[in-house]
Amino acid sequence: MHKNFLDFSNKTILITGAASGIGKATALYLSSLNAKLLLLDLNEKALKETCSACNGSCDVLVIDLSDIHGIKNALSEKIKVFGALDGMVHVAGIPYISPLKTLNLDTVDKVLKVNTVAALELAKVFTKHKMHNTENPSIVFISSVYALVGSAANVAYAMSKSALHGITKSLAVELAPKRIRVNCVAPGFINTKMLDEVSGSFDGEYNERLSRLHPLGLGEAEDIAYGITYLLSDMSRWVTGSILSVDGGFTAQ
Amino acid sequence: MEDFLEQMAEIMEVDSVNPSDELSSFEAWDSLTTLSIIALADDEYQVSLTNAEIADAKTIDGLKELILKKQDA
Repeated sequence: MHKNFLDFSNKTILITGAASGIGKATALYLSSLNAKLLLLDLNEKALKETCSACNGSCDVLVIDLSDIHGIKNALSEKIKVFGALDGMVHVAGIPYISPLKTLNLDTVDKVLKVNTVAALELAKVFTKHKMHNTENPSIVFISSVYALVGSAANVAYAMSKSALHGITKSLAVELAPKRIRVNCVAPGFINTKMLDEVSGSFDGEYNERLSRLHPLGLGEAEDIAYGITYLLSDMSRWVTGSILSVDGGFTAQ
Repeated sequence: MEDFLEQMAEIMEVDSVNPSDELSSFEAWDSLTTLSIIALADDEYQVSLTNAEIADAKTIDGLKELILKKQDA
């Protein structure tokens, strides 16, 4: 008899960026699999809405991940009360569309802090003694197709996301002796608020072109949540250091 | 918006611009330049512009008015 890998009733998972988009979809899906969830975001109101839409055990932590030095204490204290984690997924991220000539270094700094440096700090807390359970712990980062292929006016975002691939592989090797797996999902474009905000600047033709870049069409947030769930589950217990493309075929071309 | 003309000259890759200059008359006018204007408006003036709005603004001065109007909104 095989184990039901989609039974998360014994798993406790931290999800950043859980107030909307991929983070919210991941929270709702994992909740439907009976996971115990700690949801993190800056947007308190939307985060609480996600939490109340989840079944069973769920708690929230409202912090600004760009305040890098505030993460450790706030999260450690919360986990001490909430209970040790089996997995964490860093979904929170900010987009930044700007050609090189208008690149604002303060904005670049913020994008790097939230998308990349926060990933390190979160992983640092997760891997500490008593912060994680020792049976199949799993860390999942979220990058982007633009960590794998180039795109004009996306240099800072691409930098922040491709750095996550280096982090994934380095930490996979470093943390393997502790049996902590580290993987990354590289999503294509999905219908989220972040895309609406970004693509709102463009015309219909741009959006059609974007859709054509995906042989399977634009995805839904749930499509990414399913990939994340696989990497958090014990089904992927021998998978570490991998970059899982969930992009409707974007990077297959 | 003291530096606006200077910022636009940098984006358009020319020494200086006049308020009446038409956006489409610059050699550097292309989709990346439009993105540069969107990024500038967002970073420096905290307003979100669309491709269509920029095209409708037509001139450097029109663009300035558009940004001011959006800031007031």
